[in-house]
Amino acid sequence: MNLYDCKILLVDDEKALREMVSGFLRRAGFHKVTVAANCMEAEELFAQKAPHLVLLDVMLPDGDGFSLFKKLREMSEAPVIFLSARDEDESRLRGLGLGADDYITKPFLPEELILRVTAVLKRVYRVKSMQESEIITLGRCQVDLGSGVVHWDRDAADGNQAGSGGVYGSSQVNGMEGKNGEITLTAKEYAILQKLAQERGRIVTIDALCDAVWQEENYGYENTLVVHIRRLREKIEEDPSHPKYLLTVRGLGYRLV
Amino acid sequence: MRGFGGERINYNYRKAAHLLFYGVLAVFGIAMLTFILNIVFLISAAIVYVNTDSNYVGGGEIMKALTVTQNGYVLDREVEEELGLKDQWAMLLDENGRVIWSIRKPEELKDEYSRSDIARMSKWYLQGYPVQMRAWDDRIMIVGMQKETMWKYNVEFSLPWMEFAKRVILAYLFINFAWIVVLAFFFTRRFTKNRERARIEWIAGISHDIRTPLSVVMGYADTLERSESLPEDARQQAAVIRHQSLVMKELIADLNLTSQLEYSMQALRKETVRPAEIVRSVAVAFLNDSEPGQLDIDMQIEPKAEQLCVKADRQLLVRVFRNLINNSMKHNGRSKLVKIRIAIWQEKQKCHIRLEDNGVGYSEEILRRLRSRKKDSTGENIRGLEIVKKIILAHGGKIRFGNGEESGEYCLITLRGMKQNKAYFNGVWNHLDYRD
Repeated sequence: MNLYDCKILLVDDEKALREMVSGFLRRAGFHKVTVAANCMEAEELFAQKAPHLVLLDVMLPDGDGFSLFKKLREMSEAPVIFLSARDEDESRLRGLGLGADDYITKPFLPEELILRVTAVLKRVYRVKSMQESEIITLGRCQVDLGSGVVHWDRDAADGNQAGSGGVYGSSQVNGMEGKNGEITLTAKEYAILQKLAQERGRIVTIDALCDAVWQEENYGYENTLVVHIRRLREKIEEDPSHPKYLLTVRGLGYRLV
Repeated sequence: MRGFGGERINYNYRKAAHLLFYGVLAVFGIAMLTFILNIVFLISAAIVYVNTDSNYVGGGEIMKALTVTQNGYVLDREVEEELGLKDQWAMLLDENGRVIWSIRKPEELKDEYSRSDIARMSKWYLQGYPVQMRAWDDRIMIVGMQKETMWKYNVEFSLPWMEFAKRVILAYLFINFAWIVVLAFFFTRRFTKNRERARIEWIAGISHDIRTPLSVVMGYADTLERSESLPEDARQQAAVIRHQSLVMKELIADLNLTSQLEYSMQALRKETVRPAEIVRSVAVAFLNDSEPGQLDIDMQIEPKAEQLCVKADRQLLVRVFRNLINNSMKHNGRSKLVKIRIAIWQEKQKCHIRLEDNGVGYSEEILRRLRSRKKDSTGENIRGLEIVKKIILAHGGKIRFGNGEESGEYCLITLRGMKQNKAYFNGVWNHLDYRD
């Protein structure tokens, strides 16, 4: 399914906001946008159109968004992004495991809205937009994030090897000399690299990396993370002790450049 | 270095003391008012009593006004008139109970009374007439009133009971007083609380109502800014609108937060958080959004402090560090590169976080305002820092602002850490998880 074919239902009681948001969504390429002004309309349209995603205002004239959300969830599992105008809602949305997919606090910039909508749709329906590539290139090595395999360009490596003082020979990674210059990443290395690649160029905190690898209850994994990072470097860096791509930002996290 | 002692006092206690003072004052006031009201009531009752009841002619008065002549007893004219005026009557009995003198005596009454008659009337009524008796040598003076004008009852209490009653009455009074105090306290509290809540809700309502229109303003300004069909200066102006809308957004959030922190109504949504993690995420967000060569954050976290947890409202703590870093970036003076050093360490189960920068430092005036308890909104805007202070104090923490030895400003935050708990021991085990 194409991302832009997704049907979106927008529920907000403010006409000006409805018009603006639906305009943004259309301009961003989502051409199937329906709007509702209250809970009743929303329920009807939801049943009728079966949208792929609902943008739901928390405060509606005939009820609150939270209870409407529960009703909608009884009908289908379509993702819901809340629009909230109160700070108080934020904590409620964050905690409680309400099951909403995301929330946006008003006022927001159109860019933010489109980003979140796209992110949720991609996550839920696993649709991919064209420009997204599964392969990341780090100098002479290419990592296929689809399969979790690191490909080393052997020809270039040979050419470079003389210059870099036999780094290859001293490398502990045996796989590097393996067939076709392919090394497989472990699940944890893969999770780390995937997270870094998602945020490529930006710093990712140690904590966010731990979250990505161990999900919850990851107290005290920082030292372990260092070990995994070192192993990852051995696989993707030419000189693991002087990394060029997977950089440490001291005290804060790591960055993939 | 100047002492920062004043700043260290926990504002929550101060505020509580403040409230307590006024509370006690109000309660005391109400109790006093009730007391005074009671007294006034009693006094007026007494006045009414004096004006009505006690206004009758007593036996003694008649005895004084009665003289013995050859023709018998003669009553002074004035007293006689007064008896008539008050519709009273009187009679004098001799030692055998015979009436030897009388005035205005009702017809139906006898002229001779036995001892038992006398005993009875001394205690109750004489054929329905309320009477008072007085012994006069061996005679008895009886003053009577009309039927149904006086209530008469004999009162007798045993002495032990009287002793007991004294104590009971004292206790009763005390309980009464305590009850008044409790009631007064209850009502004052309710009253002030309701007023606070109304105010907070009003502000929350307003800030809510502003956000939706502001979304529209921001959204369209952003569209205009990107619109390529518009001339450059129009797009510039749209950019200004968008930027100013963002400023308004912050202002509204600040207003709401300040009002809730001010009245401690925002039930802090406390959870177990790691300050190290929060500070790191805020710092990284700033670094990721900054241009190269604009911001440098040096983060030093003591290994022990890495796992230290505190009970805090996560969003509010994020706000604290965002405001502090924002402030450093705004007041960096001439140097283009803002350098911020953040240190986190643990000491006596407390989490210490210190942020310092290479900027121009706080001015004397700002420091004074940050340390004073009074609100002072004149001069430079330090709302961001004031919110930082409020949040930390609402968490029962301590905060100090000051200037570094050489340059720049610092802010030292101390939060109560949690006991090294299960989470920590999990952490110890987690260290061993090198599995792939």
